Amino acid sequence: MYSAQITRANPTCVILLIDQSGSMSDPFSGDSSRKKSEFVAEAVNHTLHDLVIRCTKTEEVRNYYHVAVIGYGRHVGTCFSGPLAARNLVPIAEVADYPLQVKSSYKRVSDGAGGWVEIPVRYPVWIHPTSDGKTPMCEALTRVREILQQWLTQHPRGFPPTVLHLTDGESSDGDPEEFGQQIMSLGTDDGATLLFNCHISSRRSAKIEYPTDEISLPDGFARSLFQISSRLPSNFLAAAAQLGVHAVEGSRGFVFNGDPSSIVQFYEIGTSLTGMTPYRWMDDTRTEPA
Amino acid sequence: MSSAKQSAVWDLQTRQLLLPKIGHDISECEDVIALDTQSCRFAVADGATEAFDARNWAERLARHWVERQSTLTSEEFRSWVATEGRELHESWNSLSLSWYSEEKARNGSFAAFVGVEIDLETGSPSWKAIALGDACLLHCRRGALLKGLPLSESESFNNGPVLLASDSSLHESIMQAVVTDAGVCENGDVLLLMSDAIAAWYLQRLEKNDLDPDEILRTKCDDELSQFLDAERLAGRIRNDDVAILRIEITERRIN
Repeated sequence: MYSAQITRANPTCVILLIDQSGSMSDPFSGDSSRKKSEFVAEAVNHTLHDLVIRCTKTEEVRNYYHVAVIGYGRHVGTCFSGPLAARNLVPIAEVADYPLQVKSSYKRVSDGAGGWVEIPVRYPVWIHPTSDGKTPMCEALTRVREILQQWLTQHPRGFPPTVLHLTDGESSDGDPEEFGQQIMSLGTDDGATLLFNCHISSRRSAKIEYPTDEISLPDGFARSLFQISSRLPSNFLAAAAQLGVHAVEGSRGFVFNGDPSSIVQFYEIGTSLTGMTPYRWMDDTRTEPA
Repeated sequence: MSSAKQSAVWDLQTRQLLLPKIGHDISECEDVIALDTQSCRFAVADGATEAFDARNWAERLARHWVERQSTLTSEEFRSWVATEGRELHESWNSLSLSWYSEEKARNGSFAAFVGVEIDLETGSPSWKAIALGDACLLHCRRGALLKGLPLSESESFNNGPVLLASDSSLHESIMQAVVTDAGVCENGDVLLLMSDAIAAWYLQRLEKNDLDPDEILRTKCDDELSQFLDAERLAGRIRNDDVAILRIEITERRIN
């Protein structure tokens, strides 16, 4: 299970599900300068960039992935706009071709002789930060299930879909467990859909990353998210190990009270489908002067 | 009893096969075989699928190496690869690239490489080889493995080999993994240059001792061999990767 080769004939599906409720406009604990929604939007844009680069073959992007970014807050639906507006799952080649804008920055890299050089890099932007309304998590999970059901009728074979859910608070429309279980009951001949959850917090609370059981979880909401978090398959565990993240056989794809670094690692581990080294983007960068 | 004086002439017989991954066209194959039977130089390069312009990089390495002389020490090799990498990167300057191709190109290209030079002029033929990554030279005698370069066990193959980078700023650490070796051949010896998936399969067959893989390579025609290898891939015994096989058999011919 979870071993199918991802090819153009048998692509896989990645859904980034993000909380865009009003509380996402709060900053992370200890960093009053940045809203959670800003950091999450940046992380999602970098994750899409990473997926595009992995699929780039010289001058062509191969459709190994079909990708959706679904937000929930005042509205539930796709976060894509511009030419991709109203689209849910989009083949990665189209994602590559239609960012809203491409920013230029510089990145510091080793010059191979003990020093550093700055090289130009491109940062495409597909989504902007949004934070408004309540937290209709059950409705959002239902939307994801509907998208997956449709996709799976056309792609019953191959590496199963991955859903990466990021939220900062409790559901405002009920217990999400039943809706998450419905997603996890779907799949391909290579395994059940992988649902991973990352809860982020504005409070200074101890973070819990990739637990194997519920013992350390503080409340019922955390336990509900744990129950709808899939076990990390071996190639995801290998990716976690490469990133220095402690995860063991039986660890769930679940983070509670996460901080900014938790988000970065969550997306890197969650998109490490092929066992390839996760693309590192948390380097020193500076924006090119306008 | 004949008193006529006999001397030996050594011949090379070569056979090559390139096979793309199942579901791919031969034009998408990133393995490259290059040979020059005059200079007796042979090479296989395997462009990394995730890298930018991987086929061109593999082709440049394999074809240009067989056209050269020597380049069989780590020092010579490093200097030569740096030049080839610079020329490859310069060839991209004229391209008008999308943001994603530009990003991909910035990381450069990567390939596994193995090259061998055979000397037939001495009493016993000998070879010298250089390799980096998981493209292999296997020296076999009567169906048994004498030497494998750089890998000689099927379990040694994994998905993270050190590869030849086109970006010379990465060479400081990479070039420490270059392997060189040499050997002496007897009549009937076989040298095989192979990319990783087929080399792993070949070694596993030898280790299990359940069939003679060289007989398969030697006796089947191209179509039969392609079909056989596809079946092995579908059965999961060969990873679905490009396949490059260059088989060199060394034979002695007595002349009066």
